[in-house]
Amino acid sequence: MPGRREFLNTLMRGGILAALGLLSGAVIFRSRDEKSCSYGFDCSGCSRSKSCMLPAALEARQMVWQLDMTKCIQCGRCATNCVMSPSAVKCTHAFAMCGYCDLCGGYFKPGTKTLTTAAENQLCPTNALKRKFIEDPFFEYTIDEELCIGCGKCVKGCGAFGNGSLQLQVRHDRCKNCNECSIARSCPAQAFTRVPANKPSLLRGLGPELPKETAKKNQANG
Amino acid sequence: MKQKIFIIAGLVLLVIVIVIMVRDLFSSKKEDQKNPYDYKLNELKKTAGKQIAYNEALSFRTGLEEIHAIACGAGDRIFVGGSKGVEIFEKDGKPAGKFGFEGFASSLAMDKKGDFFIGMQDHVEVYSPEGKLLKKWNGISPESFLTSIAVSDSFVFVADYGKRAVYRYDHEGRLINRIGEKDPEKKVPGFIVPSPYFDLAIRYNHELWVANTGRHSMEQFSYDGTMNSAWGEASMAIDGFCGCCNPSHFAFLHDGSFVTSEKGIERVKIYSPKGEFKCIVAPPSAFTEGTRGLDLAVDSRDRIIVLDPERKQVRIFVKK
Repeated sequence: MPGRREFLNTLMRGGILAALGLLSGAVIFRSRDEKSCSYGFDCSGCSRSKSCMLPAALEARQMVWQLDMTKCIQCGRCATNCVMSPSAVKCTHAFAMCGYCDLCGGYFKPGTKTLTTAAENQLCPTNALKRKFIEDPFFEYTIDEELCIGCGKCVKGCGAFGNGSLQLQVRHDRCKNCNECSIARSCPAQAFTRVPANKPSLLRGLGPELPKETAKKNQANG
Repeated sequence: MKQKIFIIAGLVLLVIVIVIMVRDLFSSKKEDQKNPYDYKLNELKKTAGKQIAYNEALSFRTGLEEIHAIACGAGDRIFVGGSKGVEIFEKDGKPAGKFGFEGFASSLAMDKKGDFFIGMQDHVEVYSPEGKLLKKWNGISPESFLTSIAVSDSFVFVADYGKRAVYRYDHEGRLINRIGEKDPEKKVPGFIVPSPYFDLAIRYNHELWVANTGRHSMEQFSYDGTMNSAWGEASMAIDGFCGCCNPSHFAFLHDGSFVTSEKGIERVKIYSPKGEFKCIVAPPSAFTEGTRGLDLAVDSRDRIIVLDPERKQVRIFVKK
């Protein structure tokens, strides 16, 4: 029965060829779909962002809580009202804005006589802000997040007397992302807001999207 | 009798319980409002009234969207520079003209002819008294941010926050030398300017003074760049300069006294020609909290003219 064997062979070859064709078609279609993302995986402004199944779009659709520093008044409720203990809100340092000051308004209590790291000189109630000498007269300030309770005392001091480089932000490795955030509920400045998970920070005075003139203006405003 | 005592005691107990519950219900809300970590800045802003030696005599609004620089010229005319232009006012605040340009004036000064020298972020532009562009000097650097200009008979001095340097030019815009830059060989520590407030001015038409804000000091330089003297102290107290970087601006009275303004604790003060604290012109309560960029000018009658960018006003203070 050579006719039947030949027929089966042809059928098998044909089937393999068709499967290969389908596979390559699917690969081409998928790659074409990815290349067609003209926003370069930045979903803002994309009309298909609500239905797109690309991982970046899925991440962008997931929302997380964040503190808008342009509205924050450092009321202290981030420290006292979070369900996490200590709070998931931490001080963050925007180093690009920092003046590396010797006399740092966020680090020292007002009226401090000697600019040293002695406990009585420090504004932070938990010693979470660390001061390190770089070169005369510059000092670097970093935050020990394990100690930081998000009270915002240093943020207020830095904003009043310095450049405002110390800022409060929700740390998403700690935040439970509650549907109804207990800090947001009690925030008197309504500074808590939902932001896409792929753009989770709302730091003030920073951002590559700022045009040069606006950035300089922000800088000029301190 | 016993039953009566029990009833009365029970009623008293009930009233006590109700009072405690009501108090707990209402006072607990007040407790929630308290911030256990409050940083009371207002305590630092209290000022003794007897130290205030000036009154605010006049204030008027400017029409510019943002205001950055102020200067006083012939006839005590007041010039305000900001976004897209310069506005001119008579000494009583009446508008006397304006002219426009692209960008914003980050600093402003005039020479004896009345020509304007305007710092436009990274370069200087010279305008005639009528507002016609006479010359555009070369850009200094993409990082430059010109925060102050002073013009003497022979030279133009420019403070550049971006490069932390002072430049001496001739009136045609030719750079003569740089002043105050860090030089470990000559043991010049350099300017420490943590925020974009870096002012300079000329006293008695020949003494160049620069505010080295990160060191909270006023420094006087020779034109070759040698530092001759300095004074100033970091302090929240009224006789010192507060915060990380102050004084943000200064000007001179005709006797050589310094008029200084600060950010953080917003205040305008006067120091003697030797740098001793004399009096307060405007206390923190005179300004909106968070006001920065209080540029200063002094007119022929020693009236102190303060630019208030927060209120978009020019405010004139006179001695009591």
